Amino acid sequence: MQKDLETKFLSDFEQNQNIVHKICRVYTTNQDAHNDLFQEITIQLWKNYPKFRGDSKFSTWMYRVALNTAISLYRKSTRTVKTQDFSDFAYKIKATDYDDTEEVQLKSLYSAIHQLNDIDKALIFLYLEDKPYKEISETLGISSVNARVKMSRAKEKLKKTLNP
Amino acid sequence: MDLLDNYKKAWKNQPKETNKLSAVEIYKMAHSRSSSIVKWIFIIGLIEFLIMIPFIFMDTDTKGFEELNILWLYETINILSYFIAAFFVTKFYLNYKRISTLDNTKTLMAKIVKTRRTVRNYIFTLLGLMSVLILVIAFSSINNQFSDKTILFKTGIIAIFIFVGAIFLGLVWLFYQLLYGILLKKLNRNYKELAKLDAKE
Repeated sequence: MQKDLETKFLSDFEQNQNIVHKICRVYTTNQDAHNDLFQEITIQLWKNYPKFRGDSKFSTWMYRVALNTAISLYRKSTRTVKTQDFSDFAYKIKATDYDDTEEVQLKSLYSAIHQLNDIDKALIFLYLEDKPYKEISETLGISSVNARVKMSRAKEKLKKTLNP
Repeated sequence: MDLLDNYKKAWKNQPKETNKLSAVEIYKMAHSRSSSIVKWIFIIGLIEFLIMIPFIFMDTDTKGFEELNILWLYETINILSYFIAAFFVTKFYLNYKRISTLDNTKTLMAKIVKTRRTVRNYIFTLLGLMSVLILVIAFSSINNQFSDKTILFKTGIIAIFIFVGAIFLGLVWLFYQLLYGILLKKLNRNYKELAKLDAKE
């Protein structure tokens, strides 16, 4: 039983791991911190997997646990040394994409996101991932109206940084 | 077209993580040790409960209390502290168990704060009880020993007692502020951000 659960978890996670990577990119600015947060999210996902009943999509469930970990549970590990900074990820972007404008846009988007607070980061992330307001408000535990208000403010902040 | 729509397109086209993890690596990670704030809260809470055990089960020489005629108070507080300890340990454990990353962010944060507060309230309750006991002892012994002195003198000594006690409690409070500050700084900030929003509803 445990073995089946584990196999299922590993295959689900392997397919959807990009979601977690994106969340790590939003919440951390260097590779060490990225790995550290990724590990904590993985632990939390596995810990809660037996409670995942499949009444929602695996990815939806993953968004919630991963964001909760990033916002509420994760504390910067003392192992983290701030040396490499954002350049780490910047060159990764270059590796596969040749469209120069999108590359530049993505870089400035990430650096603008990094200036937001944790809650705004979550809002913008869910917006970029095309999540409906219902899901956003349910994930964060605020009313739909508040989610909309807060989202438009977060977007304004982001725009100001992107286009001062 | 909105400015952000352009960026959204870039977001959608962002390359997938180049260093993708294999199932084996994910397996190893999933079974490694968590360093989450909840785990720290649990460990620190346990330590605090353990630290207070000697105070609760302390075998005190009760002669002094008998002489002062306050043995009943000592015994009441003693029995009360067993119940208080049992109550708070149970509450702490139940609160801890209720923490789930499947909750929405706001509920999750509220539960974490609540668990942490249980331990704080426990310590404060015990300190409160101890203060009562110490104050009564102080009053009684001052009355016994300095029965011939003026009221002003007695009041002075009691004032000093209260002052020293207040400093001690102040230090404990400071320690808590610090512990809370370090442990829950980020969480409190985020929680306020979400709570502030609902207050405007």
